[in-house]
Amino acid sequence: MKIAVCAKTEGMESVVDDRFGRAEYYVIFDTNKLVGETVENSAKGEPAGAGGSAVRLLSNHNVEVILVPELGPKAVDAVNGFEMKAYRYADRKTVRETIAAYQAGGLQQIETSTTRSKSGLRRA
Amino acid sequence: MERKEIAILSGKGGTGKTSLIASMIPYFQNLVLADCDVDAPDLHILLDELNRQSRDFVGLQRPVIDLDRCIHCQACVNHCKFHAITESIELIPSKCEGCGVCELVCPVDAIKMEDYVVGKVFASDTKYGELIHARLIPGEETSGKLVSEVRKAAKEVADQKQRDWILIDGSPGIACNVISSITGVSKVILVIEPTLSGLHDLKKVVTLVQGFRIPLLVVLNKSDLSAEGKSEIRQYCQENGIEIVLEIPFEENMVAAIVNRELPSLYDRAFFDRIGFDQFIERIKE
Amino acid sequence: MKIAILSGKGGTGKTTLATNLFKTRNQGILIDADVEEPNSHLFLKPLIMERITIKKGYPVVNAETCTLCGACGDFCRYNAILPTKKKVLVYPELCHDCGGCQLVCPADAIQYQNRTIGNVFYGKMESGLSVAYGDLLVGEVSGVPIIENLREMTDKEPLVFIDSPPGTACSTVAAVEGVDYAIIATEPTPFGVSDMKLVVEMLRNFSIEMGVVINKAGLGDQEVYEYCEEENLTILAEIPFSKAYAKCYASGGMLSDEFPEFREKMEQILDQIIKD
Repeated sequence: MKIAVCAKTEGMESVVDDRFGRAEYYVIFDTNKLVGETVENSAKGEPAGAGGSAVRLLSNHNVEVILVPELGPKAVDAVNGFEMKAYRYADRKTVRETIAAYQAGGLQQIETSTTRSKSGLRRA
Repeated sequence: MERKEIAILSGKGGTGKTSLIASMIPYFQNLVLADCDVDAPDLHILLDELNRQSRDFVGLQRPVIDLDRCIHCQACVNHCKFHAITESIELIPSKCEGCGVCELVCPVDAIKMEDYVVGKVFASDTKYGELIHARLIPGEETSGKLVSEVRKAAKEVADQKQRDWILIDGSPGIACNVISSITGVSKVILVIEPTLSGLHDLKKVVTLVQGFRIPLLVVLNKSDLSAEGKSEIRQYCQENGIEIVLEIPFEENMVAAIVNRELPSLYDRAFFDRIGFDQFIERIKE
Repeated sequence: MKIAILSGKGGTGKTTLATNLFKTRNQGILIDADVEEPNSHLFLKPLIMERITIKKGYPVVNAETCTLCGACGDFCRYNAILPTKKKVLVYPELCHDCGGCQLVCPADAIQYQNRTIGNVFYGKMESGLSVAYGDLLVGEVSGVPIIENLREMTDKEPLVFIDSPPGTACSTVAAVEGVDYAIIATEPTPFGVSDMKLVVEMLRNFSIEMGVVINKAGLGDQEVYEYCEEENLTILAEIPFSKAYAKCYASGGMLSDEFPEFREKMEQILDQIIKD
């Protein structure tokens, strides 16, 4: 299984990022091979809709679980649509520590958005 | 400490947004400035810029039409919802939103979408910290995206130099460039004048900021302009749970400072002491 | 004749000029194209007779026929449509209504629907003069469709005063399209001059004839005068800084009603622009 974590820099020792859609990098950890691969977030510069794009990017890398600091309503819809699961971290630890916390069952799953919509105040 | 971004907005233009942010600068150490008013970037006028570096900003792609290949079938003209291509197959750049439909519908591949420079981003050193500002080529689209670019560059500098504060000079209005100026900031300061239009515009921008659940503080500028306007704004703020943190009476020296290209709070320190600017800054830093 | 009143910098007296020129002329229609923060109606106080809802399209995907091929998401440059494994998500507020997703869909599963992004209000003043203004809903990213509606609705009018949005971005471009003359409101400060330069550059790109009104004259320095001379720009009038003017404006009063010398300035400007 592949787990993605939002990261400020590259590699497993990077500190986690405090944003999801506009995170600098994602470190994708493969639980079978026990290796972490860093992917640059191509969606981070988007003026709008970065969250949804980032979910799509991670799905293309066959990621099934994402560990995030927060998740907007659009990204929650996207996570559900791509049949992924999202878990929330609160501490500013390293990617390695955050994955360990998830594996130990210490992170809470996100079912609904943790922030309010950023660009659309009214939902159409 | 955790880095904080503070955005100064105004809804209505010309209420003294840039003068306020310029006055705040000397009270912050460890600062990066981001001028996100990309249509009317003025903060740099008051600061001596050193080592200014600039780079082009590609906002979107635009169609490039190869008229040698074009068979004038009008497919692009008919499909463009923005009326950006004339019947003689000329692009009107100011109308193009870069969607790529023309490239898609062209049967002879005469149209290619290519990167298009819509502005410049500048980074420079000043005595008080780094300044990031930008300029949209007049008449161009995507100012929201350019604002995002300025903020991104400011964050990068703040990361590198380990700066604690980013002060953002936002743009007037409520549309894309304003939204891009405030997403994810820790506080918004609204600069308002006690006029009928000031109150009217305040309401819209308050709705916007509160929609993002960002803490909001109001600065009442030229507060002695109208006693009636002032009491209406006070009442509105009270009813909506918004704190007015500072009142600045009209002072010709504020204008004189700008004319002399100096930071107002350094130009007339006594005035700023009198209005309680120190306490205001402490309140902002909380 | 279509006359746009604009300014790079906000708060230089654009709305004051537009409304007072209009009222002094006592003819034509005024449209407020500053749809993010429209203010003209606060001064002209028209009785609203009609409200037009401005709509913008967005795609709706038919889940029955959609094959989840992903073509729509690959095409869209605005992240407004996101094909997932289970269904296609649509974010209407990000959609520019270009129609591309519908064109690329091989299953013909996309239709467009409309949603409201703002309103145009049309009304008449006590004197019988017509006023129209647009109002963009909070949270919407662009007022351009509203400005275009205002422009189209007054296209046949013989005399139109346009209170334009500040700045030089897309909404200002939409407001000045097709105008015969542009009045730039500025103030004699370094900020006023710097922002005005961008407006001059934009108007020259569109080959629009222009003149300058210097507001708050006497408050700043000489740079704006030097700039106008260098660039060969006509100074239509100078309006001195006055606390009495500022107070009148603050309470929603019309300067041309209260101050005869101000009204004379308005006449002086109109005489230079409108040649009968």
